Amino acid sequence: MKNRFQNAKALSRRRFLQGCGVALSLPWMSSLVPRIGKAADAGDPPVRSAFLYFPNGVWEKDWIPKESGENYELTRSLTPLADVRKDVLVLTGLDKKHSHGGDGHYAKTANFLTGMPVTKTTGKDISSGGISVDQLMAQHTGQFTPLPSLELGTEPVISGIDSNVGYTRLYGSHISWQSPTRPVAKEINPRLVYERLFGKTLTADSEKAESYRNLLDFVLEDARRLRPKLGRDDQFKMDEYLDSVRAVEKRIEFATKGENGDWQPDVDDHALAAARPGVPGDFREHIAIMLDLIVLAFQTDSTRVASMMFANDVSGRNFSFLDGVRGGHHELSHHENKKEKIEQYQLINRWHVEQFAQMLTKLQSIQEGDGTLLDNCMILFGSSMSDGNRHDPDNLPILLGGRGGRSLKSGRHLSADGQVPLCNLYHAMLDRMGVEVESFGDSTGPIKDLV
Amino acid sequence: MLQLLQRDRDSRSVLFSLMLLSVFVLGESATCFADGLSPEMSEWGQRYAKDILPIIQSRCIDCHSGKDADGEFDLSRFTSGDVAATAGDVWERVARRIRQNEMPPEGSPGLNDPQKGAFYRWLDSRPDQDLCNQLASDETQAWYRGHVMSRRLTRTEYRNAIKDLVGLELRPHELPPSDGSGGEGFDTVGDALFTSPIHMEAYLTAADRIIETTLPDSEDSASTEVVAARDLILGEPFRSNWASSATENRQVAGSSIKGFARRAWRRPITEEEVQRLLTIYDAAHARGLGDLAALRESLKAVLVSPHFLFVVESEPAGGGVQRITSHQLATRLALLIWSSIPDERLLRMADEQQLFEEAVLREEVRRMLADPKAVALGENFGLQWLGLREFGNGPLPDAEVFPQFDDELAADMREEAILTVANVFRENEPLTRLVDAQYIYANARLAAYYGLEVDEGDSWRRVALPNRQRGGVMTMASVLTSASYPRRTSPVLRGRWILEEVLGSRVPPPPPNVPALEESHEEGKNLTLRERLEVHRQKAECASCHNRMDPLGFGLENFDGIGRWRESDNGQPIDAAGKLPSGDHFTGPEELKTVILKRSGEFQKHFVRKLIGYAYGRELNKFDSCVVDQCLKKLKEEDLRAAVLIEEIALSFPFQHRYFKSDK
Repeated sequence: MKNRFQNAKALSRRRFLQGCGVALSLPWMSSLVPRIGKAADAGDPPVRSAFLYFPNGVWEKDWIPKESGENYELTRSLTPLADVRKDVLVLTGLDKKHSHGGDGHYAKTANFLTGMPVTKTTGKDISSGGISVDQLMAQHTGQFTPLPSLELGTEPVISGIDSNVGYTRLYGSHISWQSPTRPVAKEINPRLVYERLFGKTLTADSEKAESYRNLLDFVLEDARRLRPKLGRDDQFKMDEYLDSVRAVEKRIEFATKGENGDWQPDVDDHALAAARPGVPGDFREHIAIMLDLIVLAFQTDSTRVASMMFANDVSGRNFSFLDGVRGGHHELSHHENKKEKIEQYQLINRWHVEQFAQMLTKLQSIQEGDGTLLDNCMILFGSSMSDGNRHDPDNLPILLGGRGGRSLKSGRHLSADGQVPLCNLYHAMLDRMGVEVESFGDSTGPIKDLV
Repeated sequence: MLQLLQRDRDSRSVLFSLMLLSVFVLGESATCFADGLSPEMSEWGQRYAKDILPIIQSRCIDCHSGKDADGEFDLSRFTSGDVAATAGDVWERVARRIRQNEMPPEGSPGLNDPQKGAFYRWLDSRPDQDLCNQLASDETQAWYRGHVMSRRLTRTEYRNAIKDLVGLELRPHELPPSDGSGGEGFDTVGDALFTSPIHMEAYLTAADRIIETTLPDSEDSASTEVVAARDLILGEPFRSNWASSATENRQVAGSSIKGFARRAWRRPITEEEVQRLLTIYDAAHARGLGDLAALRESLKAVLVSPHFLFVVESEPAGGGVQRITSHQLATRLALLIWSSIPDERLLRMADEQQLFEEAVLREEVRRMLADPKAVALGENFGLQWLGLREFGNGPLPDAEVFPQFDDELAADMREEAILTVANVFRENEPLTRLVDAQYIYANARLAAYYGLEVDEGDSWRRVALPNRQRGGVMTMASVLTSASYPRRTSPVLRGRWILEEVLGSRVPPPPPNVPALEESHEEGKNLTLRERLEVHRQKAECASCHNRMDPLGFGLENFDGIGRWRESDNGQPIDAAGKLPSGDHFTGPEELKTVILKRSGEFQKHFVRKLIGYAYGRELNKFDSCVVDQCLKKLKEEDLRAAVLIEEIALSFPFQHRYFKSDK
């Protein structure tokens, strides 16, 4: 059964990679050995990556530092980074060229992590142009952890289509794409995330695990028999079902085989049990819990890849809980160059940076190997447009926290010379996760100045 | 004709010529009647002369001309629009060759995309096609790219199906994630429904929990609800025959499984399928589980199987356009009206092949609308049409400005929207009641919120209104709240909402680089929102849309950011006057509704298109205009009473047929 599963997975992997902006370098297998951080040294902690997205852009004048290099002055929106600035790279001048056409929001968000053109559609042929960087990483690191990746958010998928611009709003709700044509559903309920990560229902050779295995085997066969009887378009949908069944099978397998992956994290079961989240009271708590869960998941090596949407694109979430802010996020991002609105917009930007900084602080407080968990992480934090009033997809606000297994020279402002593809950064991150590619998305090569 | 035959050089071209012959005969004979072309056909021909003829002349004529035309295919005769318009299926055949990239052949100048596009567009706009008994398909339409038909159940449908199957509801956290939308803006669009591992986990754990809950080992401490669920799931044979010998139990289990699978999978279950499901039973036995526990495992398998989770419309032999089976029709009906699976009666009628009878189907639609489950038309179709699906879950009004707004109020507002839409069908009210009605649906709490006096109680009821300030969707608190900003109303958002969702107009986003609402052009003056919007509208590039939108929104200014009536704002009296480019002017919601009702035709057409898009689970295309027209016609005949719309959709060709794209 295991062999069958692996073959199928390898096959589908190859299919994913065809024509979706990823060119693999050969030999394939060598990519399974991470080059940096993890290295061949079995005792080294693995590198983890998270991609945190926030909607509606930033007020650039309070974001982009004037100076480059180490001695840059933190701008107003970046002040929350003060305590962790040595572990953060501020990246400016990165661009997503395939987002210059199309609508202000949807054509920029769906491809935040793919860098490829988003198909303009209200439903048929939905495509983000490519696999997203987190999912590509997960395809490689997934074999070492119970979950290949986490996809988190705080809001349900946006309903409806925007018939004026001709896009389905679904595009504004997904940054993780398992393939160009397959968005990965995100989990917005923290309790369910926790249960998936640390729930004990499926451990060892429990009857439940046995039951689930049997049920999944059965329905897998059902789907296999059904598939050839369906029309061509419908078969793709059955493939999604088949892949999902296999993913759950794999998770059960991992949970029940009793042995751990290639890294034995130091886990305190009591602390874990205590971390079981309740129902978040408000948005702030929701965000805090979700970020904590990513930290926990990384700490316990439950997964090495995560994506998280602070909110869906165009989110009109009311930020009046912040002193000085009176209104919704999207509304204020259209600041019309009015001082009073810009002021509030900037406060919202800064709040988001604060959450990011707090997450880094937590990662830093956790010892791992002879350093901290943060040393072994790459936490990308950014938005899919620069100025929310203009919807520009260039000069994107991007921060990268952590040191990627000490492969990053942090503590600097890297101002890209001209319009460097954002995907060059992803390319560099893929390298550090041990995923060798010749290119990713519209990358022209990995950013070199990171070390 | 003889000439043609004489020039034949081999038998293959004889055949080909014979095929062409019919074309030419048709062409010639039709030409004789060119004078009698309908104005539409004549116009179609004129567009040929203008747009297509130049392409033919520059790309085709070199080879396809005169007696020696390549492939005996002479295009040089189509020099005028009238001749082209009467050319029979010549153009369909040309289109097929172009589509396959066979023509123009390799080595000669090909058609570029705009040329191909112009050709397809022209062909697709042929006026005399019989659209009522056709579907878009590869064969008929260049733009056709297929639709996912065997889609999975949406989150709502899954929830309802489980409830109807076992009699117990899943808890919100047990449901799979929410779905996105496509087509005309609904989650019923298969192309926009994806399955992720977290869906699978939800299906698995939900099936596990619900079956374990409803079929406990001991009934002693079971609630009446659980006992009822158990009877519903296992059926009569179980009640009378279970708990005898192991062999008999296996037989009883088989019969219970078969009954349950039939309801869950919405079709007859084969003996082979029962045997397969029993392998789960046997495997559980082998693991040491008891008979009932083993039975539970098989039932769980039914609920995780793609036969339950997907609307399986499998491919019959030979593709093409075919009628769906009676059981598939039953499922489509149940999904349309109940957002759930068919009930026993519907399944039985499908077994008996009765559903394709028009009278039976109409009656069945009425029966289904009368069933309380038909409230799904409001909850599923209605909320999605109104853009309220996540009302109360997403961004909320500001608690500082609107401390009254809480979860309970939000739920009441939502329920009002559901009942308002659902009951237009269920009570068979005129469709225009959605625009203007002298009643609302409310419980005592919501009525009080609206300043109406009704008897106490939680029950929802129709409440008569003293005037027309409320009544209809535009003045529901849910709509008024969702088309406001967190801290204030927005005439622009509300006006746009009416234009788009009620009248079906499109309002393009502001052109780039146009500053939105400027603070003020007159220094030192503190302008009101209305004045600022008026300044804004003085710019031509803004005026074209804002002139249509803003006045409509101003007509609703008597409602605050959470939909409460108000006479003044910040000490200033409300000015609810608006004037549209048409010259129509009004003050306040009642006059606004009167003005909207003058455009009732636009509203009806938009609503019908939305409903059909929801029912078909895809974007509408020109073939559907026949159904739209038919619906509008019937609606008029019925004095706009809405239930007939569901009947007409159920009877329509696209609802009962599908195109099977055989790749075999």
